[in-house]
Amino acid sequence: MPDALLTVDNLHVHFKTDDGLVRAVNGVSFELAPGETLGIVGESGSGKTVTNLALLGLVPQPPGIVAAGKALYRGEDLLRMNVGRLSQIRGRRIAMIFQDPMTALNPFLTVGEQLTEVTRLHLRHTAEQARRHAIEMLAKVGIPAPESRIDDYPHQFSGGMRQRVMIAMALSCQPEVLIADEPTTALDVTIQAQTLELVKELQKTQGTAVILITHSLGVVASVCDRVLVLYAGKIVEEAEVGALFARPQHPYTLGLLQSIPRWDEDAHGPLKAIVGQPPNMLRPPSGCEFHPRCPFVLEKCKTESPPLEMAVHGGRKACWVAVENSQLAAEGQR
Amino acid sequence: MSVATTSPQRADARRSPEAGKPLLTVQDLKVHFPFRRGGLLLGKVGVIRAVDGVSFEIRPGETLGLVGESGCGKSTTARAIVCLVEKSLMSGQICLDGERIDGLSPAAMLPHRRVVQMIFQDPYASLNPRMTVGSIIAEPMQIFSLHAPRERKLKVMELMDLVGLNPTFLNRYPHEFSGGQRQRIGIARALAVEPRLIICDEPVSALDVSIQAQVINLLVELQKRLGLSYLFISHDLSVVRHISHRIGVMYLGRIVELADADELHHRPLHPYTQALLSAAPIPDPVHERHRKRIILKGEVPSPDREYPGCPFASRCPIVEQICREVVPPLEGGEHLAACHKADRSTRSGGPG
Repeated sequence: MPDALLTVDNLHVHFKTDDGLVRAVNGVSFELAPGETLGIVGESGSGKTVTNLALLGLVPQPPGIVAAGKALYRGEDLLRMNVGRLSQIRGRRIAMIFQDPMTALNPFLTVGEQLTEVTRLHLRHTAEQARRHAIEMLAKVGIPAPESRIDDYPHQFSGGMRQRVMIAMALSCQPEVLIADEPTTALDVTIQAQTLELVKELQKTQGTAVILITHSLGVVASVCDRVLVLYAGKIVEEAEVGALFARPQHPYTLGLLQSIPRWDEDAHGPLKAIVGQPPNMLRPPSGCEFHPRCPFVLEKCKTESPPLEMAVHGGRKACWVAVENSQLAAEGQR
Repeated sequence: MSVATTSPQRADARRSPEAGKPLLTVQDLKVHFPFRRGGLLLGKVGVIRAVDGVSFEIRPGETLGLVGESGCGKSTTARAIVCLVEKSLMSGQICLDGERIDGLSPAAMLPHRRVVQMIFQDPYASLNPRMTVGSIIAEPMQIFSLHAPRERKLKVMELMDLVGLNPTFLNRYPHEFSGGQRQRIGIARALAVEPRLIICDEPVSALDVSIQAQVINLLVELQKRLGLSYLFISHDLSVVRHISHRIGVMYLGRIVELADADELHHRPLHPYTQALLSAAPIPDPVHERHRKRIILKGEVPSPDREYPGCPFASRCPIVEQICREVVPPLEGGEHLAACHKADRSTRSGGPG
């Protein structure tokens, strides 16, 4: 991908804790093309949020340490940028939506004050321009009566509406990259559908590339083009969304796909649960981090960490098991 | 995790048990919370109608699922059943095993707590961090003086084994366990008094995806072994569909549709159920891209006033004048729906 908008190369983020060093992100590399939607899937503690916080210089240091790696945005390394330059990019070129719209908005400022701050700062709008633009953005994200709602405080909005305000704020400078961290997790199903439609639509009209962090494979299936699967701070699989669901190449991905019940399915056998517990990141397992829970484990998996290599579905996978003629492929057929 | 893998006749177990005498009957349950509007002094008193006339029954060995979005009253319904709602706020009848338990004082309710137990959403907040796992699970036995004190430890270890916890971890504290393991502790505690009905309020929502399946399988397995009934509350349709025999869909404090789980999927009658089903994402990109969603406009109206007609009228895509004036009754034999326009005769095939 020579025309990648964002290239993350071998990112390592560590946290110093009283009990030892946690390698939260452990060598993550990926690229983001203009206009695409990249899903990042993983369980709590897999490093999906920390990866993206690191890109925007938002990892609290200490206790965090961005230990190694590069994150090139249009040739500039975000990880080594001074704060002044980073602030020009943050919110302007790369914007972020957080999971919890209740805590991400300032309760003491009206929605309008928070929306106009962004454009006055980045686009040098006058107060009047900024207000007009903010009303426009609120209308675009489907807030009724934006001319009057703009002077309301966040508590006067419902959860779904607050998330729309967050989206309006994130998109008001027409960023090239939107990082959405579990944008719909705190929302109800019908509001989640509204919000995802909205992001899809705005992406189409503004050409924004989206990094969507989620634990929901359903959400991934409905909006993403490409998917990264994270486990214990590493990418274990990467593929186009169709290939990932049709021919998962990593046992963890396969396990996730098989363990979730489906609303549209009549067969009700027991769910194929992944055995065991997520790894303790203070003392991660040797070799492949997934090996204690893996149904296809080989001797080699216990000692040697598999590299992330080209896989048959055109993406990448980090697994020693020769998938194509193993039972993995057979089990993939549900 | 032996429990997770051994249930070949799951399909049979899922079929609704024969209609016997219901274990739990809830009739016209209402829970209204009063509140003051506009500050203490000028306060005008209003009422939040959290639950507004809910009726259902649960048969022995059956799982009834309740789905709905936040604020629809599903958790309040659960709390009312186990008498965790102050009795002056509720009306209606709740019968457990033929005896009325609504409005009982805590002391009078106590013996009934051997029959009905509860599992909570947050396995971090619902276990006392200062008690060992052993004493957490033994506490209900002490309260009901079950088993000789000497035998309790053995009983606790049996329960830990039953829910897939290592019995030698008896003396550990909750913080030493992961979320999924803590939820197993909560389940073992509920089972300690050998209840017949367990109210599960979002029991897997706080767990990681890979752990959810373990806990769901455990609940299903325990139901088969012990003949338990569940009231299973969740906002996750897929989970509810998987575990429930029958499903009730709640909206704004009422049940708008109640039917057999498969029937509800194939033939949803209420427009809200149809929208809810079409909004639930399915982990299948091919399917997802060709799916037609019913995107509802607007949001759930505030439960602080009484609406003259159907509670869903303000968002309903097929609303008519009658819907705004007359509350539709929940009717229809085995497949109940509260909608004036529900076509109960021919429609087949759900949305999506």
